[in-house]
Amino acid sequence: MTLTGVVGESIGLLSGLILAAEQVAEKAAEESSGGLFDLDATLPVIAIQFLLLVAILNVTFFKPLTQAIDERDNYVRGSLAEAKERLRKSEELARQYGQELAAARRGAQDALLQAQAEANKLRNQQIAAAMAEGQTKVDAAKAEIEQQRQAAAEVLNTEVEVLSQQILRKLLGDLVNA
Amino acid sequence: MMFAAIEVGKHFYWQVGNLKLHGQVLIVSWVVIGVLAIATALASRNPQRVPGGFQNLMEYALEFVQGIAKEQIGAKEYRNWTPFVGSLFLFIFVSNWLGILVPWKLIELPEGELAAPTNDINTTVALALTVSVTYFWAGLSRKGLRYFERYVQPFPVMLPLLVLEDFTKPLSLSFRLFGNILADELVVAVLVLLVPLIVPLPLMVLGLFASAIQALIFATLAASYIGEAMEDHHEEEHGEAQHA
Repeated sequence: MTLTGVVGESIGLLSGLILAAEQVAEKAAEESSGGLFDLDATLPVIAIQFLLLVAILNVTFFKPLTQAIDERDNYVRGSLAEAKERLRKSEELARQYGQELAAARRGAQDALLQAQAEANKLRNQQIAAAMAEGQTKVDAAKAEIEQQRQAAAEVLNTEVEVLSQQILRKLLGDLVNA
Repeated sequence: MMFAAIEVGKHFYWQVGNLKLHGQVLIVSWVVIGVLAIATALASRNPQRVPGGFQNLMEYALEFVQGIAKEQIGAKEYRNWTPFVGSLFLFIFVSNWLGILVPWKLIELPEGELAAPTNDINTTVALALTVSVTYFWAGLSRKGLRYFERYVQPFPVMLPLLVLEDFTKPLSLSFRLFGNILADELVVAVLVLLVPLIVPLPLMVLGLFASAIQALIFATLAASYIGEAMEDHHEEEHGEAQHA
């Protein structure tokens, strides 16, 4: 009995609630010309318009500009890689040229040293030869001087002899001849 | 003083069949869509390798919204969702700014007034529901029916809370945007009513700032919901266990 009572009561309550809700809804529908929270067919229209906008912007904005940015990225990355490759190559070349330069320098140094050594040797030889020639000439001159001196001494000796004979003759005169 | 009248909750109704439409919202939304379509088409008509002024600006915008999507969704998946998140940001941003910068009051309507489409609850709810559908779709297309595992993932007790979250997400998204934009417009309108010159200007600048922030918040949250729906929960659990 109590159960049916409760059920009946709750059904009554429920139907009352539903009635009240319907009345509120009707009232709202009557007053719906305006208000901040006036939801109507604008909502789905805006939703559809927005989806349309997504489609439009996808074609006019997102796809082409994303593609442009990606292409630019690829281009920049490619150019960067190429530039790095070129840098590597030029560094390689610079290194190679440096090596060649060093080798050439060393060669030049060697040639210079060799030439200097040769020139020194030649100079020494010539100096030695000149000194030897000078020595022989000095020796020859000395010998000649000696010879001439002896010859002169001989002449002088003979002249001294003659002069002394004459002096003797003059001083002693007849004594000598006598 | 017709410039200074405050009109709240009045709409320029169009009757199509037995459906009612808010004409002022639709007109400005067409302007916004037109501006966006023309601007983007101009910028990408002939893309250059070295971008010139306008292409540069639009590329900046693109990279900005790409950044939002990438941060929230992750570098692996963000490219598929950039158009959606980016369109959300651009639509809300341009709506808000055009609402502030264009002197709509010079165009008189029989009832209501032209303003940012985002100051109408229909627009924000439409965008928020689109976000909801999108993140469900993202999760389902990524994980199939296993997507629903996330409702019972840490503990089955969480189920009601997690289900509730699916309702609070669009609710908070739509009301946050709606409330902020409407409040900005009301504050400016009230100030204009009191002091018509100079004084409202700083608040209008603040409005520009706030509405840009709202666009960013909406797009960021949308991207975050999409990313959340797609993320792998097992991995996350391991990560959390390691953190603990």
